[in-house]
Amino acid sequence: MLQLLLIAARNLVQHRRRTLLLGGAIGAVTALLVILIELSTGLRATILRSATTLMTGHVNVAGFYKVTPGQSAPVVTQYEKVLATVRQTVPEIDYIVERGRGWAKVISDTGSVQVGLGGVDIEHEPGLHKVLRIVQGNLDELAQPNTILIFEDQAKKLDVKVGDTLTISAPTPRGTNNTLDLRVVAIAKDLGLLSAFNVFMPATSLRALYQFREDSTGALMVYLKNIRLVPAVHTRLRNALQKAGYTMMDEDPKPFWQKFESVNREDWTGQRLDITNWDDEVSFVMYTVTALDVLTGALTFILLVIIAVGVMNTMWIAIRERTREIGTLRAIGMQRARVLWMFVTEAFVLGLSTTVSGAVLGMLICALLNAAHISVPIGVQLFLMNDRLTLLADPVKIFLSVLFITFCTSAISLIPSLLAARMKPITAMHYIG
Amino acid sequence: MTFVALALLLAGSPANAAMNQEQMVQLLRTLDDRQQNNGDYKSLVYLEQKEKDKTDVVREAIVYRRSADQKLMILFSKPKSEQGKGYLRLEKNLWSYDPNVGKWERRTERERIAGTDSRRADFDESRLAEEYDPSDEGEDKLGAYSVHKVSLKVKDGVDVAFPIVKLWVDNETSNILKRQEFALSGRLMRTLYYPRWQKLYSESKKGDFWYPPEIRIYDEVEKANSTIVLIKTVDLHSLETNIFTKAWFESKSR
Repeated sequence: MLQLLLIAARNLVQHRRRTLLLGGAIGAVTALLVILIELSTGLRATILRSATTLMTGHVNVAGFYKVTPGQSAPVVTQYEKVLATVRQTVPEIDYIVERGRGWAKVISDTGSVQVGLGGVDIEHEPGLHKVLRIVQGNLDELAQPNTILIFEDQAKKLDVKVGDTLTISAPTPRGTNNTLDLRVVAIAKDLGLLSAFNVFMPATSLRALYQFREDSTGALMVYLKNIRLVPAVHTRLRNALQKAGYTMMDEDPKPFWQKFESVNREDWTGQRLDITNWDDEVSFVMYTVTALDVLTGALTFILLVIIAVGVMNTMWIAIRERTREIGTLRAIGMQRARVLWMFVTEAFVLGLSTTVSGAVLGMLICALLNAAHISVPIGVQLFLMNDRLTLLADPVKIFLSVLFITFCTSAISLIPSLLAARMKPITAMHYIG
Repeated sequence: MTFVALALLLAGSPANAAMNQEQMVQLLRTLDDRQQNNGDYKSLVYLEQKEKDKTDVVREAIVYRRSADQKLMILFSKPKSEQGKGYLRLEKNLWSYDPNVGKWERRTERERIAGTDSRRADFDESRLAEEYDPSDEGEDKLGAYSVHKVSLKVKDGVDVAFPIVKLWVDNETSNILKRQEFALSGRLMRTLYYPRWQKLYSESKKGDFWYPPEIRIYDEVEKANSTIVLIKTVDLHSLETNIFTKAWFESKSR
């Protein structure tokens, strides 16, 4: 085996120009694949970090309350009883946040935007301090009643700054119009799609706007110590709440605001609980990750086909150049299988060395891009959920990519190698190329 | 008869002599009665919507009403993008239909009609006495008109879009000239002006039926937004029996 490796390495060195050209192509494809993987992983991590703070817990116990069949509100009534069941059922809890939910029009003197309202108790929201980057004002002032936090783009649309007053207008669950005047206390940096439709206000003010009782909340956002436990906790919570006598909504992996239409169409009234996880609540933004993954897959496939053609051509040339050598080797006793492995090993060595180099190059480029803190245009921010380009290495995925490309280059070399192995020694020795 | 009663009621309440509660309730009943025809109703309606930074949109719709079971139907016919869309009120449920998706959606009775500043109540029969408790705010001047100002507060257990309403009733003609609607917080939400009123003889009522051919609605929260409702060709003849059904609506939507 060592002998074969030696022959392969010497051959590659001997045909330096050809090796560099083909190896460069394989390395470039690997580097590109690594960059795309890091972009996708970075995007997923950003969404997970931002979304699980801004709009969802790892698992959410939420639901709808309907006064009449046609009017629903995203409310959990008597939430303390629900909370007790949740705590009893899930020992893996890290912490729980109670978050008010609403959908309203925010109006300034010059404009208006339709947004989702997050009713927060800022003293018990450690995550918001970590995720939100405040550009104006003070996040802690959300502890005062009738205050609001908005995002940069919303501030621009509404033409307001910290200290200005905004009016929120929304119908109560009984359909009666209500308004509330709120003072802007903080403006945060945009977080793409996640911030485009969200504002935060004190939970007490949200209750006042919707005329909710003190014992109601929008959702219990449950954070787990280990996010891998989400599916198990999701199922366990659903069963436990059902057993505790709560009526549950049918499983529907969508964010709560996409459920109003179907909930309003149903005939029931009263309270129904709904269990969702972070994946369900951010499904409307995860398409960007899926799109990027599909793009990565398609691009990799096309580039791999080009590389395969290149590898095969190179092997053909090598075999043609070395036909007499093959004949001699066969004449002095080298078996067909060994000839086959000789060429496959050459492709393998070329593939492995260049994919490893490409992966290292890709990771270096990613590290440089991260260090440069590159700001992205607003249009791109919508999809990246961040104002900066964030790339994150996933060692397992990168290792698998290196293996895959190496395997492909080796596998494709099997066809010319097989033909080389099947040559008759006498014919090969007499070959004049 | 109702006009005479209302005129007497308003004439008998000089600026310094406020109406008592019973008189106020009677006033509301009379205002409601003038706008009810105790039968079927059909009208062609135009809604002109003005919104800030948007092109004005004019919609054409046909409004069908039946007093007996408080049914209401609004079927849009123009512009082309709105054709076949509409609302159907059945047993206190307001359903919205979109022929593009072929689905009925249950909506709150108090939501905006087609995204304009108008509400279902603007097209429906007046039920002020049923929904509100009145209080007298005395005489007032509305431009050149002498008016009686009435403040209304929603009755307990009744769901309305605006819990507080103020009305300006013309002393001379007994028509509502202006209406202001307030949110729970007390903030003014809409101001409506009724520049003209017309009457028709109603066979089913055996008396006069009054309607405003034009309603100007101003959004008081988003000040730049407004809607003008023009009510044309009012027909008080009986409608087909089975008209207020989803099937009938869908057949007209196609």
